[in-house]
Amino acid sequence: MQRSADRGKTWRRSSQIGLPEESGMTLEAVWHIEPGRPDEPETLFLGAAPGVLFRSDDGGESWEVNRGILEHPTRERWFPGAGGMCCHSIQLDPRDERRMYVALTAAGVFRSDDRGETWAPVNRNVVADFLGDPHPQVGQCPHKLLLHPLRDRLWQQNHYGVYLSDDHGDSWLRLDGNGLPSGFGFPIMLDPTDPEQAFVIPEKSPEYHHSSGGQLAVYRTRDSGETWELMADGLPKQAWAAVLREASASDTESLYFGTQSGSLFALTEGEVWVEAVRHLPPILSVEVTEWPT
Amino acid sequence: MAHVVVPSILAAQAEGRQRFDVRAETVGEALHALPVADLLFNERGELNRHLNVYVDGIDARDRGGLRCPLTAVREVRVVAMVSGG
Repeated sequence: MQRSADRGKTWRRSSQIGLPEESGMTLEAVWHIEPGRPDEPETLFLGAAPGVLFRSDDGGESWEVNRGILEHPTRERWFPGAGGMCCHSIQLDPRDERRMYVALTAAGVFRSDDRGETWAPVNRNVVADFLGDPHPQVGQCPHKLLLHPLRDRLWQQNHYGVYLSDDHGDSWLRLDGNGLPSGFGFPIMLDPTDPEQAFVIPEKSPEYHHSSGGQLAVYRTRDSGETWELMADGLPKQAWAAVLREASASDTESLYFGTQSGSLFALTEGEVWVEAVRHLPPILSVEVTEWPT
Repeated sequence: MAHVVVPSILAAQAEGRQRFDVRAETVGEALHALPVADLLFNERGELNRHLNVYVDGIDARDRGGLRCPLTAVREVRVVAMVSGG
């Protein structure tokens, strides 16, 4: 974990992050860093493998593991996906300072209503077709979880399908049968001004991680997943591209995503995608922020 | 006194220093004395994957690992493995 206070000019590494000895586990990989709430500017959350969550209250200098996740009573039923047992999504409810969500592969989505002390699995109706019981309490494989900033609506791109929940994750509605070429994919993007909209980038299948039908394509719903429409103007045809789970972002201006083949796309006026950068190494993560000049 | 050499990727985290003379009796002690020790070891004190350690040119694993005594040793060299390729 490295941090910069001068917009990336210099970096300083944090004190060592690790898991307590009695856990019998060691930290494998860091997956996601999520800023704390606006009134806690020194707070950060960090999701990591093997299925662990950390919190820092000093701007990332030191980190404390979340015991509720580390010692979760269902942990023995969690298992790693191809990238490890990663905690990749951390969402803080802006309307309730006690509530937050995490998503882990392959354990599922978990909600805390007490500032992260305890966690309830919230995976009802989310399938896990790779398990003997396709509707277990835990063991699902969310790929990315986002909470809409304006409304209590969760969106999830899962290993098997795209889902939304309007009841804090207590139940989920599957949406990919409504016109997506595939339910498989990794990133999901939201329009921060419209909770009805979401954007996904389907991949062919769990076995084939590349764009479906040889066309790099974003699909948008404007009606909460009732229908999906293709948004491929400006995107390459004859493309077998893949977009990693952290490699997309959105703000009120645009949408942004990067491919494993090193192209960064942004949506411009007239809903045309523009390849902003190309020939990069595989793009692992995309974030968007204001950058004063 | 042990002379320890780290690869440039670790030297970048030690203000550019690549060579260190440290007072230690074993390879493990010498590595723990480095300013980049937190990048060499995990939270259990085990050497991270993707690192090899050579003691006077011999793989430390063949000389007792981190317990290898430094008596009459001239150089401990940390090498970043070429992994992922």
